[in-house]
Amino acid sequence: MSLRKVPAGRPQPQPSSRFATTAKRDSLAAELERDPQLSTAKRQQRTHALNTTLSQAALERKLAAAETNRVQLETRLRERDAAIERLEADRRWLAEREQEEREEKERVSKEREDEKTKADQDVRSLRSELSALKEDYADLQDKLDALSHTTSQKLAAQAAELTSRERQVDSLSAELRASHDAAAAHSAEALRLQSALDAQATAQADLSRHDAEEASWSVLRGELTRQAEHTRQLEVAHTRAMAELGSLRERHTAIEVLREQNRALERRAAGADELRETVVRLEAEVQAARAEREAWATRAAAPETLAATPVSITQSLSALRLEHAHLLQEHGADRMALRQREAELADVRAREVDARATADTLLQETRAAEDRATRAERGAALAEREIGFLQALNASYASEEAAQGTGHVDQAKEQHVRELEALVDEYKVRTRALETEIQELAKRPAFNQGTGLQALRDDLTNEKHALQEARRALQEKEEEAERDREKIEELEQTLFDLRGEIGAGRHVPPGVRVLSLCENPAQNWTDLRQAALDRLKSENAALLQRLSALDRHVPTNPNPDANGEEQLVPRASWAAVCEEKAQLEAELKQRDKRMLRLRQVFAGKTAEFREALSAILGVKLAFYDNGQVRVTSQYDLGAAFVFQPAPRDESGGGARMQLVAQGEGGPQELPQLMRNWVEIEQSIPCFLASVTLECYDKWKREQQMGGGVTE
Amino acid sequence: MAPSKQSVRQSITLKGSTELVTEFFKYAVNTILFQRGVYPADDFHMVKKYGQTVLITQDLALENYLEKILKQVGAWLLTGAVTQLVVAIITKDSRTPLERWVFDINLVEQPSQEAVKQAQSSKPEAEIQAEIRSILKQIVSTVTFLPVIDEPTVFNILVYTHESANVPAGEWVDTDPLAIEASKSQQVKLRNFSTDVHRIEAMVSYRYEGDS
Repeated sequence: MSLRKVPAGRPQPQPSSRFATTAKRDSLAAELERDPQLSTAKRQQRTHALNTTLSQAALERKLAAAETNRVQLETRLRERDAAIERLEADRRWLAEREQEEREEKERVSKEREDEKTKADQDVRSLRSELSALKEDYADLQDKLDALSHTTSQKLAAQAAELTSRERQVDSLSAELRASHDAAAAHSAEALRLQSALDAQATAQADLSRHDAEEASWSVLRGELTRQAEHTRQLEVAHTRAMAELGSLRERHTAIEVLREQNRALERRAAGADELRETVVRLEAEVQAARAEREAWATRAAAPETLAATPVSITQSLSALRLEHAHLLQEHGADRMALRQREAELADVRAREVDARATADTLLQETRAAEDRATRAERGAALAEREIGFLQALNASYASEEAAQGTGHVDQAKEQHVRELEALVDEYKVRTRALETEIQELAKRPAFNQGTGLQALRDDLTNEKHALQEARRALQEKEEEAERDREKIEELEQTLFDLRGEIGAGRHVPPGVRVLSLCENPAQNWTDLRQAALDRLKSENAALLQRLSALDRHVPTNPNPDANGEEQLVPRASWAAVCEEKAQLEAELKQRDKRMLRLRQVFAGKTAEFREALSAILGVKLAFYDNGQVRVTSQYDLGAAFVFQPAPRDESGGGARMQLVAQGEGGPQELPQLMRNWVEIEQSIPCFLASVTLECYDKWKREQQMGGGVTE
Repeated sequence: MAPSKQSVRQSITLKGSTELVTEFFKYAVNTILFQRGVYPADDFHMVKKYGQTVLITQDLALENYLEKILKQVGAWLLTGAVTQLVVAIITKDSRTPLERWVFDINLVEQPSQEAVKQAQSSKPEAEIQAEIRSILKQIVSTVTFLPVIDEPTVFNILVYTHESANVPAGEWVDTDPLAIEASKSQQVKLRNFSTDVHRIEAMVSYRYEGDS
C-alpha cells in the first residue's frame, strides 16, 4: 500500500509547472518587445526554460517508466499474491486433507479398539462358555458315573434275582419230577385197579351166570363188609397210633433232652462222687484224728490242765459259731430290709413322676385359667370404657338439649334415647357373642396345645433318641477312624521300613535286574588293585620257586658263584623294580631340569636387579650368605661399607640395617657424615646419598685434574 | 487324526520329562560326589543351574562315565524300563558299602488315562525346578548328619531295570546290589520331585555303627 501512495503523489506538480512556463513566456515576450537590451538574458532564460522543459520531459519519461515499472511490479505483486493465495488454498486444502486423514485414522483406531474390546469380550464369553462346558462335562461325567454305578447295581440285583429264579426253577422242576413220579405211580395203581376190576368183572360175570353162587356172594359180601369194617378200624387204629407215635416222638425228644441232662448230672454226680470220696476220706481222716485225739486224751488224762484248754476252746468256738449264725441271720434281715427300701424307693419314684405329670397338667390349667381371667378383665375394662363413652354421649346430648330450646326437643330426645338403648342392647349382644367366642377359643387352643405339646414331646424324645444314636454312631465312626489312622501309621512305618530294605539293597524286587556299567570307577579301582596284586603274587611265586630251587641246589653245589647270586632275584620283580627305577629316574631328570631352569632365571633376574639398583642409586651391592650386604660407591671404589640386618627384637620393624664395617677410602668428611647421619639422624639412605655426592665431587675433580695433567 | 496328535504330544511330554530327570541325575550325582568327598574338591568347578550354584566335575574320565550312564538311563526312561537309580559309595580297601543314594523313579500316570491327563493342567517348569533345587539343597545338608567318611572311597552307579529291559550287551552287566547289613543300616527319606510323567523319590541309606 505504501508503494502505491508514493507514485500517486508525484504527478501533481506537473500541470502547475507547465502552467508557470507558459505564463513566463508571455511576460518574456512582452519584455522583449519592451526592452530588446535584455534579449541575451531572455535567450538565457529561454535556454534555461528549454532545459527545464527537457529535463521535465526526461523526468516525465522517467516517471512514466517508473509508472510502468510500478504497474509491472503491481501486476507481479498481484501474481505473487495470487500465487500466495493459491498456495494458501493448497495449504488449507492439505491441512484439511491432513485433518481428514487424522480423523480417518482416529476413526479407524477407534474402530480397531472397538473391535478389540468386542473380541476381548467374545474371548471372555467364550472362555466362560468353555468353563461352563467343562463344568457341564464334569457334571455329565458324574452323571455317567452314577448311571454306570446304578446300572451295575441293577445288573448285580438282576443277576441275584436270576440265580434265585433259577433255584426256584430247579426246585419247581424237582417238584414236577416228583409229581410226575407220583402220577406214574397213580397210573400204575389205576392200571392195577383196572385189572383187578376186570378180574372182578369176569368173576361177576361168572357169578351172574351162576346164581348158585349167589349165596357165596352174600357170604363174600358180608365178608367184604367185615373186611372193610376191619380196614376202617385198622385205619382208625393207624391214625391213633400215628398220633401216639407223634406224641411219643415228642416225648422221645424230651426224653433225649432229659437223658442229656441226666448225663450232665451223672457227670456232675461223678464229680460229686469224687467229692464224696474225698469227703469220706476226710471223714476217715477226721475219725482217725478223733481216735488219735481220744487216744491222746486217754493217754494224757492224768494232767487236767491239758484237757481243760480244748474244752474252753471248743466252747468259745461254738459261741463264735453261734454268733456267726446270728450275724448271718441279721445280714439276711438287713438285706431284706434293703430290698424293701429299694422297692419303696422305686414306688416313690414312680409316684414322683406321676406327681410331676399332674403338676404339669395343673400348671397348664392354671395358665389357661389365668388367660381366661385376663381376658375377662379386659372385657370388663372394655365395658367400663363403653359405659364412660355412653355417659359422655349422654352428657353431650344433655348439653345439646340445654343449648337448644325445649319445645320439640323431647321427642327427638326420646327417639335418641331409644336408638341409644337399641344400640346398647346390640352392643351387649355383640359382647356376649364375643365373650363366648373367646371362651371357645380359649378352650380350643388349650386342647390343641395339650395334644400339640404331647406330639412335640414325642417328637423331642424321638429326636433325642436319634441324636443319641447319631452320637453313638459318630463315636463309633471316630473310633473306627482312629483305628484306621493307627493302622495307616503302622502301614506307613512298615512301608518306610520296607523302602529302607530296598534302599539299603537287601531286597531286590522280583522281576528287576540290577545293572551297572562294565567300566565303572569301583571296577577300575579293583582291576588296578587286582593287577598290582597279581604282579606281587607272580613275584612271590617266582621267589618261592627260586627259593625251592636254591634249596635243592645248595647241597649239590655248596660254593655259590657270582652267577647264582645274580639269579637270586626273580625276573618279574627285577623287571618291576627296573620299571620303577626308570620312572623315578625320568622324574628326577625332569625335576633337575626344572630346577636348573629356575636357577638360571633366578640368577638372571638377580643380576638385572642389581644392575638396576647400581644404575639408579650409584652404589654396587654384594649380598653375602650370612645376610650381610656390602655397598661400594660407583665413584669411589675405596668407599665401601658393610651392613648387617639388625636383630628383629630390637627394632621391631622390618629389615633395618646396621653399619658394621667400612672400607679404607672414602671422602675426607666421612667421620663427620657418619656421626651426623648414622649416629644422630640414624638414616642410612641419607648417609649413603651424601657419601655418593661427596664421592661424585671427588671423582669429578680427579677427572678434571687428570684431564689437565694429560693435556 | 486326534489320537495320533495326542500320541505325538504324549511322546514329547515324555521326552521332555526324561531330559529333565536325566539332567537332575547328573547334577545330583555330581553334588553327592563332591559333598561326600569321593573325588577331591579341586576336580569340581561351579556352574549356575536351577537358579543356584552347583558343582560339576572336570575329571574327563568321570564325565565320560556319567555321560554314558545317563544316555542309557535316558533311553530306559523313555521306555519306562528303569525303576531305580542308586549311587553306591564303597570303601576302596574292603569294598564295604557305606552309603546308598537311592532315586526311585515312578511313572506318574499310565498312558491309558488320557482323559484324566487332559483334565490335569501341566505343572509349570519353575515349580519343578524349585523342587529339584530343594532336593539338591537337602543333599548338601545331609553332610550334617551322615557319618564322616575318613577312608578312601570309590563309587558305583547301579540301575534297577525290569527284566524285559533292552540291555546293550557287553557294556552293562548284572551286578551285586551292594547292600548294607540290616543291623547297621539307617535310612533318611529326602524330598521328591515330579514332572507330569515321572515322580522321583530320593532317599539315602547309610552304614551306621553306633557312636563309637
